[in-house]
Amino acid sequence: MKKSILFAVIMILVFMAGSVLAQEKRDFFKVGVVTSLSGELAFGGTVTKRGYDMWEDAVNAAGGIDIGGKKYKVKLVYADDQSTPATAAVGGERLITQEKVDVILGPYASGTTLALAPICEKYKVPHITGSAESPLVWLKKFKYTFGTIPPVNSNARSAIRTLAEEGKPKPQTIAVLGIDDAFSKFAAEAQKLEAEKLGIKVVKYEIVPEGSDYTPSVSAIKALNPDIFAMGNHEKAAIEMIKIAKELKFNPRAYTQHYGMSTPDFRKGLGKDIEYVFGNSVWTETMKLQGTILFKTPKEYGDAIRKKFNVDPDYTEAGCTAAGIAFQEALRAIKAAPPLTEAQKDALIGALEKLNLTTFYGQVKFATEGDFYHSNAGLAPITVQYQNGKLVEVGPPHVRVATMKYPTPPWDKR
Amino acid sequence: MELFLQTIIDGLLIGGLIIIVGIGFSLCFGVMHIVDFAVGEWVMLGAYAGYLMVRTFGHDPMIYLPVIFLIFFALGWLVYPLIFRAVSGKRHNPVIMGLVFTFGLSIIAKGGALSVWGYHIQSITTWLSGKGISIGVVTVPALRFSGFLFGLVVTLLFMAFLYKTKFGIIIRATAQDRDTANLLGTDVRKVGAFVYSLYAGVTGMSGVLIGALFSIHAAMGAKYATLAFFVVVLAGMGYVPGVLVAALVLGLLQSFFTVYVGGRYTLAALFLVMYGVLLITPKGILRRGI
Repeated sequence: MKKSILFAVIMILVFMAGSVLAQEKRDFFKVGVVTSLSGELAFGGTVTKRGYDMWEDAVNAAGGIDIGGKKYKVKLVYADDQSTPATAAVGGERLITQEKVDVILGPYASGTTLALAPICEKYKVPHITGSAESPLVWLKKFKYTFGTIPPVNSNARSAIRTLAEEGKPKPQTIAVLGIDDAFSKFAAEAQKLEAEKLGIKVVKYEIVPEGSDYTPSVSAIKALNPDIFAMGNHEKAAIEMIKIAKELKFNPRAYTQHYGMSTPDFRKGLGKDIEYVFGNSVWTETMKLQGTILFKTPKEYGDAIRKKFNVDPDYTEAGCTAAGIAFQEALRAIKAAPPLTEAQKDALIGALEKLNLTTFYGQVKFATEGDFYHSNAGLAPITVQYQNGKLVEVGPPHVRVATMKYPTPPWDKR
Repeated sequence: MELFLQTIIDGLLIGGLIIIVGIGFSLCFGVMHIVDFAVGEWVMLGAYAGYLMVRTFGHDPMIYLPVIFLIFFALGWLVYPLIFRAVSGKRHNPVIMGLVFTFGLSIIAKGGALSVWGYHIQSITTWLSGKGISIGVVTVPALRFSGFLFGLVVTLLFMAFLYKTKFGIIIRATAQDRDTANLLGTDVRKVGAFVYSLYAGVTGMSGVLIGALFSIHAAMGAKYATLAFFVVVLAGMGYVPGVLVAALVLGLLQSFFTVYVGGRYTLAALFLVMYGVLLITPKGILRRGI
């Protein structure tokens, strides 16, 4: 009897504490971040963290977000998704129900994003991912989820297009090797579809599990002697596939990859062998863009990232910082002071849908219909290639800073 | 025809890599009945050891193989008493205790590596990296071939040691009947420590080769734990010579399945084969295991 009374008293106290917390007053925005800080995707998770932290730093250095003349600072609260979807969902739920965050910035990978998005729908909390690229995220038409990087089936096509349009001689055949995950598979498929559309014959299309030995697959592709060897992967497989191609003396006219090739680990891991590899991007530090919010140019952003983290920025960092900027501008537009009420969170969705920003990252404008619902429709993919150890834009013509090097010389003639 | 021959070469070389991970693992199980879940982490730590030595002292990682063997032998010697304690005494199910204990070790090693060396993917290159030997229509990747030779040599040395030396006979006697060997004056604990250290040393060395072939990161070991389990089941639990045959079968299976059926379901196919072997011939394909 005594025990049950004690239990009841504790429960009442817990509820009281809960209601006090629910009514808490804050003079700053609490922004939840769910991303991979440990596990297989920790590398990418850290890239997103740099982008989000950069935004937090920059916006606070400017005094905070201006809401009707008063400035409110931003505080990020992290939840580690441990690179697994289930943990991403749990992490998101904790941020929303216990930390009472106003909005959420999303994970590195598409698989974890797909697990987090339904949680944001359930609790009606606006969520922007600065990294996820799988088209599956947008096909589900989540009302509360947005993304600053266009989906991979739009991004991963650029290099194939540049090669088909400008390659001399024009490539006739392609083999595609992709990793079986929510992102890489679509990166591979996008390259395949684009090749088919442009009249390049697909001689092999293979999806393999992450972590397998890719040697037999590369051997099978080598036997078909395709002009282009296209790969859909993250950084680890990106390094290993090129290593294997070299060992097997496989000499296609072009190597294309999405996305692993643009990471620092790829450059460090392969040294000189990165030369001539093609890839796709939506943003590089050398692009001629003019922004008005926080950073004026890609170069200024790049310098800020280097100063704070001592690494060169990739488009994922930029996309994550842009995700923060999107929230900031939408909050400013609806003049919502923290903490946000449920009605304000709903109003924020409307404001995000109306955004049309010109930033250091390019245009941020979320699609409001179609298969790319709520992903950024403001950016066009570009083709990049490693030349003399640097990633340079080689197409399409309006962004080109160097002519592409094609065909790739054989390994023994480099 | 060209692809067929290349597929055989690829398969044999994949098998060679599996040998070097599976051989110590099998011996460890055969003698001490310890299923070491941390096998992949020995590979990972070996790879990092190679990486650190190259970063600190320069030169080719291959020249550090003997040093790495000694370091990991010593590490094995230090870790063994803990495992021995976990699997001996009044515990009801020593095999499960060993499994759980080494599973814990594997998590600690993985987490520790992530904390110490971070999430970046590291690479080491040797003078053999990226080189391929063309023989007729096929290309033999030089580094993989050296891994294959390494696997063969280690297996032969293990066999010679087990079958031709007195200490080898003691080890085999311990494997066959621990209690009787103990009664006859064998220091079972010392034999166990030696075997475990040998296993840690060889597996650590294999890490350098594997790290040079692929890439180095904290989670790289998991895959090798799976492969080691596969190969030991196929070889017959604890039957060391079977490892050679089983690893090559596994390598060829992987290679042929990927090339002629499709890479997507290779792992599923390997699992099916493993279950098939367990159901039809639980003592392994050579019917010599426990």
